[in-house]
Amino acid sequence: MTAQEVRLCGLLMREHFGEVVEKVGTHLLRSGGQHLRAIVHETGVSADLVKKSLCVLMHHGACSFISGRKGPGSPPEYQASCDCILRILRYPRYIYTSKTLYGDTGELIVEELLQRGHMTMSGTVKTVADRLSQNMEDGQSVDYSEVSSVFSKLVETHFLQRCPPLDGAGMTASSTQAGPNPTAAASSSTLPNPESFSECYKVPHVTLVGRGKRQLATEEGEEQRSAKRAKMEPETHGDEGIYWQVNFTRFHQHFRDQVIISAVASKLDQTSSEIVRTILRMSEVTTSPTDSCTKPLSANEIFRSLPSSHNIPRQILDQYLTLLVDDPMEFVGKIGESGGGMFVLSILYFIAAAFLTSLPRSAPSISQPGTSHARVHRAGEVSLFGSRSARIFRLLLRKRHLEQKQVEDFAMIPAKEAKDMLYTLLSQNLVQLQEIPKTPDFAPSRTFYLYTANQLPTARMLLQKCYKTVSNLVERRLFETKENKRLLEKSQRIEAILASLQASGAEAEQLTEVEEMISAPEKQQLEVLKLHVNKLDSAENQVDETIFLLESYINSTC
Amino acid sequence: MTTHHHYREAIEMAGRGRGHRMMSFSVDAVGIRESLPPTIHQPTPVFPVMEQKPLPLTGGEEAEYLLALKQDCRGAMRSLPCFIQPAVAQRDVERYSDKYHISEQTDRLKDWVVDWKRFPRELRVHVRKAPGDGALLSCRDSGQQIQKKKKKVREEILLKLETLEKKEEQESSEGEGEMEKKQDEGAEAEEDYDEEEFEEETDYIMSYFENGEDFGGDSDDNMDEAIY
Repeated sequence: MTAQEVRLCGLLMREHFGEVVEKVGTHLLRSGGQHLRAIVHETGVSADLVKKSLCVLMHHGACSFISGRKGPGSPPEYQASCDCILRILRYPRYIYTSKTLYGDTGELIVEELLQRGHMTMSGTVKTVADRLSQNMEDGQSVDYSEVSSVFSKLVETHFLQRCPPLDGAGMTASSTQAGPNPTAAASSSTLPNPESFSECYKVPHVTLVGRGKRQLATEEGEEQRSAKRAKMEPETHGDEGIYWQVNFTRFHQHFRDQVIISAVASKLDQTSSEIVRTILRMSEVTTSPTDSCTKPLSANEIFRSLPSSHNIPRQILDQYLTLLVDDPMEFVGKIGESGGGMFVLSILYFIAAAFLTSLPRSAPSISQPGTSHARVHRAGEVSLFGSRSARIFRLLLRKRHLEQKQVEDFAMIPAKEAKDMLYTLLSQNLVQLQEIPKTPDFAPSRTFYLYTANQLPTARMLLQKCYKTVSNLVERRLFETKENKRLLEKSQRIEAILASLQASGAEAEQLTEVEEMISAPEKQQLEVLKLHVNKLDSAENQVDETIFLLESYINSTC
Repeated sequence: MTTHHHYREAIEMAGRGRGHRMMSFSVDAVGIRESLPPTIHQPTPVFPVMEQKPLPLTGGEEAEYLLALKQDCRGAMRSLPCFIQPAVAQRDVERYSDKYHISEQTDRLKDWVVDWKRFPRELRVHVRKAPGDGALLSCRDSGQQIQKKKKKVREEILLKLETLEKKEEQESSEGEGEMEKKQDEGAEAEEDYDEEEFEEETDYIMSYFENGEDFGGDSDDNMDEAIY
């Protein structure tokens, strides 16, 4: 992992788990696998806090441990992984996707699981039902079974999965203590692939009867609740020890499919995008997320699976499929004639194409904290070097190697400006210069100087720039909030007072009096701050979309 | 990194590969001589001027919902037990509100249910102690302190009573005029002493925790004084 990644991880951990975890986490990221003692010693954090931090990280899957690597009984080594922490940036998108797919219940299930790392099914269902009931009108509540069914659906579609069982964890510890089986102690628990575990998507039988409870505001209710909680604690639901986590890969697969569908829609038309959507949906479960193309599908199968609402006749479907096959981008390949023609959809090409079309736009410029106003944006070479530089870049991507003269001609840009732009691009490492000598003496007059755009290194570089951009955005946001801390606290206090006054049925006069405690300029300042923070936050979201595209391109090509 | 620096690096690296020549290609051939900036000996500005306007952020319902989700999520995670607060440094004085803060923290830690089968034992033994204990310890500490203080107060009261008894004895034996003077002095000195003690400990909690007997007695005394 790079310095930029570690910096971003640190900031994300600080925001979501607190400063202690940030310190422990970044230390682990920088130093690799370490024993507890070493972590305590080197971070200077108290042992209890280090232990708690490690628990938090492991709870969220961001940290793993290997026990007994150096023989049975040796203390476990802890290791943090960058990827999982960087996923925090994408949480809103996961939650939003589950909302669009499974409604509010799905949204809350995924949200709870993301925030808490992993949970049992019964625990999740209860919390979600309670939260849903909270927002409903008086006297209504949500039945646990409704939430359970949505949960099962999420599992069926692989959006949720079981946490892989950790053989190395408690068992190792107990066996080392009892000492009957020293060989078992050497088992490791480093990032076991959840898919390798056969019951990964099996929903356990959970006995859950009841409805979501509304939280009562009165003190009496509080007491009752705690009494009830105490009573409920020993209750079992038959799924103890089975924990669920969000399957990020599946979500990424879904995002990727969306990108492909919208790409086809913009390149061809709506109908063809529907056909592609059908193909993708059919191969959702049969194709593993890492495959470069889908399993072959016959035209007959595709026709049968097409949603009837689109009303696409068989002939039109065949025409569209030929169109897709004939497309120069080679998205869809024909590999046989049986069943009306067998088709495969090349995901790899799609990602590459999506990446390449977005590349000239997606390179983000870097906004630093401390500028006079929040300069936030997702912008590309378009904005960094202007649209004409982007033209040159696109040209180089298509033609691979070009001499300077050719660049000037093809891009139709005056020689002087083209030279200038090429130099700027070269100095930013966005294009490379390749020299091909005609004679072995490398005499300049007998050498070709070819400009070329190298995709993979460029993608990697842009990804790092994206990480840096997000870090800067977060830093800037923290700075803004710190600057206005006093004001924010004041407004919060006043809001609390207002709320309590309203609850007690105060008169309007009183309320306005309290409201006026914030002066007009202060109000204005608060609004400006809110605007800036919102802008920074949504910029983070949008840079993350670019990050997703770059990551999937890099992952699919190597 | 300066752009210029990049450029020079590129040239140097190209040169190194060939061996004896500094530059493998003539700068003129590439035609970038005129655009070569002068050598710079200081870092580039932290906030370079942006030559091109950035593209605006995409708006719309989805973006706004994502924004709201992001902010909600961040807020919610702050209130979860997995958000670890740094140990608060011992502040200057013990405050009345402290005990409420303590109870808040313990409540959060109680919610933190961890299945220890999934975590290494070395974390477990202490951590299980830590959440419960961290809070309990402080409670116990303050409890012990309070008890100590109570003992102290009791001792002081006994001492006072004893001295008073002695004085009474003295009173009966000595002349009235002298005795009055002495008694006043003694009382004053004692009062001073008491105040000092109280100030040193800054211990209004002590009086709060007492069952009120002392307090009542005190006020009675005062009343007496006021009346006479």
